[in-house]
Amino acid sequence: MITLTINTQKYQLDLKGHETLLEVLRDHLGLTGTKTACEEAECGACTVTVKGKAILACITLAASLDGGEVTTIEGLADGNQLHPIQQAYLDQGAVQCGFCMPGMIMSSKALLDQNPEPTQKEIEYALDGNLCRCAGYPKIFEAIQEAGKIMKEKNKKIN
Amino acid sequence: MPKSIDKKYTDPVGKSVPRIDGKGMVTGQAKYVYDIGFANMLVGKMIRSPHPHAKILSIDTSKAEALPGVRAVITAKDTDKIKFGSNEHFFPHTIDQMALESEKVRYIGDEIGAVAAVDEETALEALKLIDIKYKILPAVFDVQEAMKPNAPQIHESLNNIAVILPVNFGNPDRTLKEADYVREDTFYTPAAHHACMEPHVCVGQWELFSNKVTLWASSQAPFKCREALAKTFKMDLNNIRVIKMSVGGGFGSKLEMLPMDFSACLLSKKSGGLPVKITYSREEEFIASRRKHGIIYKIKSGVKKDGTLVAITGEVIADGGAYCSYGPTVLAAAIMRIFMVYQIKHFRITGYRVYTNTPISGAMRGFGGVQAGFAIESHMDLLAKGINMDPVEFRLKNITTPNMTTINQMKISSNGLRECIEKATAAAEWNKKRGQQKSLCRGIGIGIAADVMGSKMYKSHESAGSIVKVEEDCSVYFFTGAADTGQGSNTALSQIAAQELGVSYDRIKCTSGDTETTPFDTGSFASRVTFISGNATILAARDAKNQILEIVAKEHNLNRDDLDIKAEEVINTKNNTTLMNFEKAVELCFSFNYGKQIMGRGSYNPNTTPIDFRTGEGNVSGSYGFEAQIAEVEVNKETGEVKILKLYDAHDIGKAINPQSVEGQIEGSLAMGIGYTFMENLQFKQGHVANANFAHYRLPRSIGIPPMESILIETNDPHGPFGAKGMGEASLLPTSAAIANAIEDAVGIRLKELPFTPDKVLKALHSINKK
Repeated sequence: MITLTINTQKYQLDLKGHETLLEVLRDHLGLTGTKTACEEAECGACTVTVKGKAILACITLAASLDGGEVTTIEGLADGNQLHPIQQAYLDQGAVQCGFCMPGMIMSSKALLDQNPEPTQKEIEYALDGNLCRCAGYPKIFEAIQEAGKIMKEKNKKIN
Repeated sequence: MPKSIDKKYTDPVGKSVPRIDGKGMVTGQAKYVYDIGFANMLVGKMIRSPHPHAKILSIDTSKAEALPGVRAVITAKDTDKIKFGSNEHFFPHTIDQMALESEKVRYIGDEIGAVAAVDEETALEALKLIDIKYKILPAVFDVQEAMKPNAPQIHESLNNIAVILPVNFGNPDRTLKEADYVREDTFYTPAAHHACMEPHVCVGQWELFSNKVTLWASSQAPFKCREALAKTFKMDLNNIRVIKMSVGGGFGSKLEMLPMDFSACLLSKKSGGLPVKITYSREEEFIASRRKHGIIYKIKSGVKKDGTLVAITGEVIADGGAYCSYGPTVLAAAIMRIFMVYQIKHFRITGYRVYTNTPISGAMRGFGGVQAGFAIESHMDLLAKGINMDPVEFRLKNITTPNMTTINQMKISSNGLRECIEKATAAAEWNKKRGQQKSLCRGIGIGIAADVMGSKMYKSHESAGSIVKVEEDCSVYFFTGAADTGQGSNTALSQIAAQELGVSYDRIKCTSGDTETTPFDTGSFASRVTFISGNATILAARDAKNQILEIVAKEHNLNRDDLDIKAEEVINTKNNTTLMNFEKAVELCFSFNYGKQIMGRGSYNPNTTPIDFRTGEGNVSGSYGFEAQIAEVEVNKETGEVKILKLYDAHDIGKAINPQSVEGQIEGSLAMGIGYTFMENLQFKQGHVANANFAHYRLPRSIGIPPMESILIETNDPHGPFGAKGMGEASLLPTSAAIANAIEDAVGIRLKELPFTPDKVLKALHSINKK
């Protein structure tokens, strides 16, 4: 039995031990927002965050996170209010088929939480593990820059 | 009570409104077939051939069937053995694939059967217990080897050439003799893969007593899928429901029913009606979906000293793999696209679509035009060079014009190609840079292209239907058969519906691509949806509007023809006064006296003629789109690496329904073009796909994506919805050539074989240094 906190919700999971975090999220808990396009750490569609760091759920054993906290795409919005990154992706037209979006947005979050004013190079490096076949990346870059500005503004207000 | 509406979304055409389905996608709530499941759902797996070419001697499924947890095993003996394919209307002899093969297998991965079990582990275990005896046959993998008379015979045809397509106009042999400069070039383009992020996946369910089949499919063309299921199951169309959900990309690979779709349904039937889900692994996706044709493009042309292109001849050989799929029409498109771009009177190119024992080539974004674009646009630069002419000037001299009929009877109405070239070269400062940056190993190159918006290539008509339904609370339902696979058609069509009905975009909810609840639509291919489904949508919205205005006119004793709805107001156009708002008008329609449901319908079939493949003539598209692209590159002579400094794309899109979405299509195409130019190459070793994963089949990633500039040219096409044309593919067509042309400008080498890997660049640099 392991304990995982996913998007602030606590789960007690009876696992065999070999399940990946991806299997737990999608197959056990029905959190299908997290995708995968390869199941071998090449596409980034399964990116979630643990302690603010982007990790790949497809190659992470769920049991290795016992007692830990995971944030998935489902945990980003605040009630009906989209997270600034989600809103920026929408506003900048960065969304096409949407299948890579959950992973792309979680990688963006890991980046912007650390560094709300990333340079173009820093954005490119942060997203290098996330494949997008539709949009060709420019609008994704714009969305991240835009989201960074809004997040910085928000933090200012809070502080 | 009517809901509150946002005034900023009135008159939505031309505005970058947010995607209608975007919130679901950024929150993870959008549902793809990949995500869905049902109680008691079984897991299906395909039984595939391990041999590239073999005769099936016997199939024993008894051990698999006896395995606990296995619910059904199917092979060809459970089927009616009906062949299916994609060019039935024009090339009936190329209908060559069985849902499950019974006698012979023709590539590694060919489908022989399928199993359904309670979980994936059991299904995979069952696959191991299937005992098939084969007689291995000699196989052929190389397209030119396969054309030889003594090559192993893959199908029961005369030889491995499934289609020979000669396209002839005028007298090219005579006119070539009259040319001042003649040259011949051969270009090689490799097989490539669509790499949709969501793999092929489906859930099939067969309700036994009502004999009703439902397939949830990740599809670009649900109605075409339904047609193929009906044919292979010998069922009526209305017994089969294909439901498209959010689709994680298609790019041509999800246009057809695959054996997996057929098998999920049949496994369900055999297991007593339980739903069966088949999900392709990434490896299966590479092997057994569809791939891009590798093409050898030989082209010989003659020009006059003044730059006039007088004649073109050539030969196009397309590696088709094991079955025909969309191959014959891909071949046709690879030959005939040039007529939309250049004015040519004397022409002869013969195409060959050839079987090999490799995965199946089919449609892929650009539909033969990417391979042709590389060959033709590289060749045009070489012709210009041969007569010492600037390549831009050379193109401007030979391009098609507005309101002309091409040699093969394509009727071009609006044509912004000249403006595209002028705007793109101005933005890129062509005159300042061309030939001027050799010392920095930098160069600039151009490529141009044109595209259809729809083509009657898969069936005799190309109809699209739409329904616009206004509810009592003034919210609006919009139903379209068109399949949004990520390109944003649900959004663009909803904008069109709102604009024509005269209401705010945020009143609209869109349902698309469900063969039971939405009208027919041939599907998302040939850049057709904005143009064809868009026109159907205008008709449906107009019909709904008429129904409302008839009641308003009757109630107020006015002439209906004097009324219109614009930006949420019913106006009297005679004296330009506002009569009432949209909400009051709808209230009136649903009032005690009228009680009228508002349901507008539209059906649109473009006024075109299919190509006569004996002559090459036909006006395939209701309109034509154009574009010019410029690449700036820097070549590293030490490493052979090519860096793209910037890409410019000027695109005649008629009218941008949603400018942001148009830019998204252009940028996505350019990225795909960069991939095909530098890295994408689906490789086969003795029929095995040697790089069936993302580690070895490299795709463009965020690092290395250059700045891109999209220039939208609005020519307001007379036939397009609000003047719009389709534009989902054209930007991909000239990218490789624009880059190749820029590389030559930079360092003087000419690359004729894609992809341009550093070793090829170094080899070419080495060979010019030797001279």
